[in-house]
Amino acid sequence: MEGLAFFGAAFGAGLAVIGAGLGIGKIFASAAEATARQPEAANEIRSTVNLPLFLLEGVTIIALVVCILAVVL
Amino acid sequence: MAGNSGGSFGDIILHHVTNDPSHIYFPIHILGMDLSITKHVILLWVVAAVTIFMATWGTRRYRKNPSATPKGLSHLYEILMNFIRDDIVKNNIGKKDGKFWVPLITTYFIFILTANILGLIPLFEFIPGGSNTVTGNFAVTVALASITFFAIIVAGTMKHGFFQYWKNMVPPNIPFPVLFILIPIEIMGMFIRPVALTLRLGANMTAGHIGMVAIFGLPIILNMFGVGVVSVMLNIGIYFLEIIVSLVQAYVFTLLSAVFIGMAIHPEH
Repeated sequence: MEGLAFFGAAFGAGLAVIGAGLGIGKIFASAAEATARQPEAANEIRSTVNLPLFLLEGVTIIALVVCILAVVL
Repeated sequence: MAGNSGGSFGDIILHHVTNDPSHIYFPIHILGMDLSITKHVILLWVVAAVTIFMATWGTRRYRKNPSATPKGLSHLYEILMNFIRDDIVKNNIGKKDGKFWVPLITTYFIFILTANILGLIPLFEFIPGGSNTVTGNFAVTVALASITFFAIIVAGTMKHGFFQYWKNMVPPNIPFPVLFILIPIEIMGMFIRPVALTLRLGANMTAGHIGMVAIFGLPIILNMFGVGVVSVMLNIGIYFLEIIVSLVQAYVFTLLSAVFIGMAIHPEH
């Protein structure tokens, strides 16, 4: 039964990372497109990209911490 | 991690990335709270001393003459202050309201950056009592995030008054039944923000160290000492990645604190 918990934790961590990777990829793809189309707005685009990126990172890290807790506890 | 087949190695990893509670320098117990002096408490004092000394040394020219030309260490502080004031505070809080919050935001940045960089100096590992990354300890990051939690409330109350601030939590002119969904979500969001700040900083700083110790443990686990060459080379790369992570996490904590304070000052209409 304990092995199943380890499997679940590892599986959950993988899923969280897949989601975060897709999200970060989408954010930066759009940012690169927008910068290429309008290079003079590069600074504004960069500061707009930062905030959702960090929120996404925070959600992912919470998911990973929950996965670690499933193993430790 | 402890308790399974690789239990002893998991314990070694945990010992290197957390504050070791068994090694207490000076026990203090007040009102049932454990306020003992451990390694992280001593390192926090070191961080405070370094921060205060460097700040007073770097800005001493401006106390005599506010428009002095920067020289030596004051260059660093001039760049840092300009960056925080113009790029973080002015963009997210606003020019007029932001002036009050620049000192707090700057203190966050310098403190977290100093603590993160201190955790990367291998020399401090020789002091007994666990890891040397103060910001990898969740108690420290909880303290930092609770300062943000109260700063958000104080910022909103100062700008709008006590009752108006709590009314601003929900947008005006929405149908009455929606309030039953919206108010619990807003109250949850109020507490989730500092929790996310806490976990982000603490987990990021701990994760890098776990990775480094695990890679250093590879030759022991595999029982092949040739792997040690590979693990040292890998860890040099990870070490430089950790320097970037230290800078980025200090920036992220500062930026998000500024954004949250700005959200309290400028509510949605």
